[in-house]
Amino acid sequence: MTTRLEQPKGGFNFDNYQRNVFLEQKGITLPKMTKTGTTIVGLIYKDGVCLGADTRATAGPIVADKNCEKIHYLAPNIHCCGAGTAADTEYTTALISSQLELHRLTTGRKSRVATALIMLKQMLFRYQGHIGAALVLGGYDINGPCLYTIHPHGSTDKLPYVTMGSGSLAAMSVFESRWRKDLERQEAIDLVKDAIESGIFNDLGSGSNVDVTVIEKDKVDVYRNYAKPNERGQKEQSYKFNRGTTAILKESIKDLVIITEGIEEMDIS
Amino acid sequence: MDSFVNNFKKSTSTWEDQSLLDNFVNFDPVKEFSLPTFDIPSCLNPIEFLKAHTDENSTTECRIKLEHGTTTLSFKFQGGIIVAADSRASSGSYIASQTVKKIIEINPYLLGTMAGGAADCSFWERELGRRCRLYELRNKERISVAAASKLLANMVYAYKGMGLSMGTMVTGWDKTGPNLFYVDSDGTRLKGDLFSVGSGSTFAYGVLDSGFDYELSAPEAIELGRRSIYQATFRDAASGGSINVYHVKQDGWEFIGNYDVGDLHWEYQDQPKPSLIGDVPMFNIQS
Amino acid sequence: MSIMEYNGGSVVAMVGKNCVAIASDKRLGVQLMTVSTEFPKIFPATDKSFIGLPGLATDIQTLSERFRFKINMYKLGEEREIEPRTLAHMVSSTLYERRFGPYFVEPIIAGLDKHNQPFICGMDLIGCINFAKDFVVGGTSGESLFGICESLWEPDLEPEDLFEVISQSMLNAVDRDCLSGWGAIVHVITPEKVITRTLKARMD
Repeated sequence: MTTRLEQPKGGFNFDNYQRNVFLEQKGITLPKMTKTGTTIVGLIYKDGVCLGADTRATAGPIVADKNCEKIHYLAPNIHCCGAGTAADTEYTTALISSQLELHRLTTGRKSRVATALIMLKQMLFRYQGHIGAALVLGGYDINGPCLYTIHPHGSTDKLPYVTMGSGSLAAMSVFESRWRKDLERQEAIDLVKDAIESGIFNDLGSGSNVDVTVIEKDKVDVYRNYAKPNERGQKEQSYKFNRGTTAILKESIKDLVIITEGIEEMDIS
Repeated sequence: MDSFVNNFKKSTSTWEDQSLLDNFVNFDPVKEFSLPTFDIPSCLNPIEFLKAHTDENSTTECRIKLEHGTTTLSFKFQGGIIVAADSRASSGSYIASQTVKKIIEINPYLLGTMAGGAADCSFWERELGRRCRLYELRNKERISVAAASKLLANMVYAYKGMGLSMGTMVTGWDKTGPNLFYVDSDGTRLKGDLFSVGSGSTFAYGVLDSGFDYELSAPEAIELGRRSIYQATFRDAASGGSINVYHVKQDGWEFIGNYDVGDLHWEYQDQPKPSLIGDVPMFNIQS
Repeated sequence: MSIMEYNGGSVVAMVGKNCVAIASDKRLGVQLMTVSTEFPKIFPATDKSFIGLPGLATDIQTLSERFRFKINMYKLGEEREIEPRTLAHMVSSTLYERRFGPYFVEPIIAGLDKHNQPFICGMDLIGCINFAKDFVVGGTSGESLFGICESLWEPDLEPEDLFEVISQSMLNAVDRDCLSGWGAIVHVITPEKVITRTLKARMD
């Protein structure tokens, strides 16, 4: 018996792996993971980087989340769009974000986009594509605006305008026809919005709203739901049931005591 | 188009010449009695091909999902035969219908039950009905249950291994008295006194066997059939909906009733539990 | 067959006006055979939050015990109850730890936070959180539940109305699913009380 609590050790746990392989061999299919069918884009304009994403998450043919966030925070000056297995994009960016924070504390300098890039690609390469994260990494550092794409196996590109995810073709066609060097800020945002909307309307894996994040020197603007081209119509009728419609067999009520103290509680969350 | 029109011209011109007797002479028994023919996939091994597309257990990418999951039962007793079945049709784990008529009325003296593929059962039992009627017209007497069930068994045997899925009971009353046969798509044909077929059959057998007695009165037998199906719908996920009960008597079958399991459960819940030991009767019979 | 269909079961959670509700069916099956009609899939986390765990029964039981342990350790360490949002991240990271050998559950969390604000979220089997503002579903009747919730749910339902909506959604969804049903249980959480009701349902 353990007498003291062990510190949780980091990394993945493979305890269930053998069992699950056994089940799979018996012809049992595993449940669907949430994927971000996704259109994600990024471009460099005159004084910064503009990132964009749609907000649909899917589980097979079902829309699992109609308004999820795909532009993740990495550092104050770096953000990252994620496509692929939703949990993987969420957790890889969170992991690298915390490593960057520690790195900033030890070095006392602003994070560089290239640092984040190397950390992400090394992690993804180590897992040989099993972590299904396809990323668009953008930020502004000492070298000015930087934009990269990272593929699940760890390969990277450095380009002035990029798209990823299932809607990447639709979005790229917009970029290819309208992107030019030294776009103005508003022009860049509009172009990103149009590229994402092209993905939303033409790709079945992408949908709902447009998220935009603009990163400039010492300034980051996060526009959550910058455009909402798929607003749901107001329900015309209410399907409210009369109270007492549902037959009940048993009922138990647990009363809660509300404690209100004279002194305001300290916020410790 | 011309040839199409000519077809009709020819027939009208020859109509007067052709007597009814000719028509009768032209009757081709081989053609009329032949089995319905289906197109069989033109490949090297049609059986393997069909299996790959219809058998859920042999392949993961089964294209044609057949309706499975049923509880049907029928048994002989002193007053005739009781036939009972649930009414759920499921496709995978999805409930496609709760109001399926799984007891097929072949004719006023014959009943067939449905388990396995719904389309297979209804098609072949309809075909059986046609053949029974032809038999009746030709021989001026009703077909025996034994002959009818053999007709069905022979028909489906011709398609053995090609993916037909059918587990059925053919019941009726003929010259020899009440008769009960089990016929399935493998070609099995069994004469018996008590059968239950379908995914919930094991549960139904449990109740049926413990409560069965040949000397049961008709209301008792009906209640036994109903209770057996109810218990099966409770334990078996693929059975449910409502229960249909039929009673086969000397002068043909009688439809006893349709009972919604959703209500029946709470009815049974309020009654004292049937007991196997002691003087309390096993089932409560409403007179 | 999917592993989620081995034991069957469904859970749904909904947001109302200053309240949340979470409901589950009560069936435990082994493929088509119903083994129990009293199998709990919703577990209390704190006074005002619940975790629903539809999926493979063995993992439901393992995880419910692991979460109970973690919630108690949190309470001992922090000297306060865990917030539903924190709980969601705790559940999520527990699942993501097993990214390459997952537990087969789709957790659903519902509760009121310290300001009595409603919180619900759903998750896939590797911990991708879905922070919904309306409703979340999980289990074998998930698709049917999505459909009926989309039409029945509306914003700002009072606790009693929310109870009717979630109950009717649950009952009607499981009536189209072989592997869920055999009774249902609903918890409605309000700032003053937690109402738990067992519903009368079809038993086939």
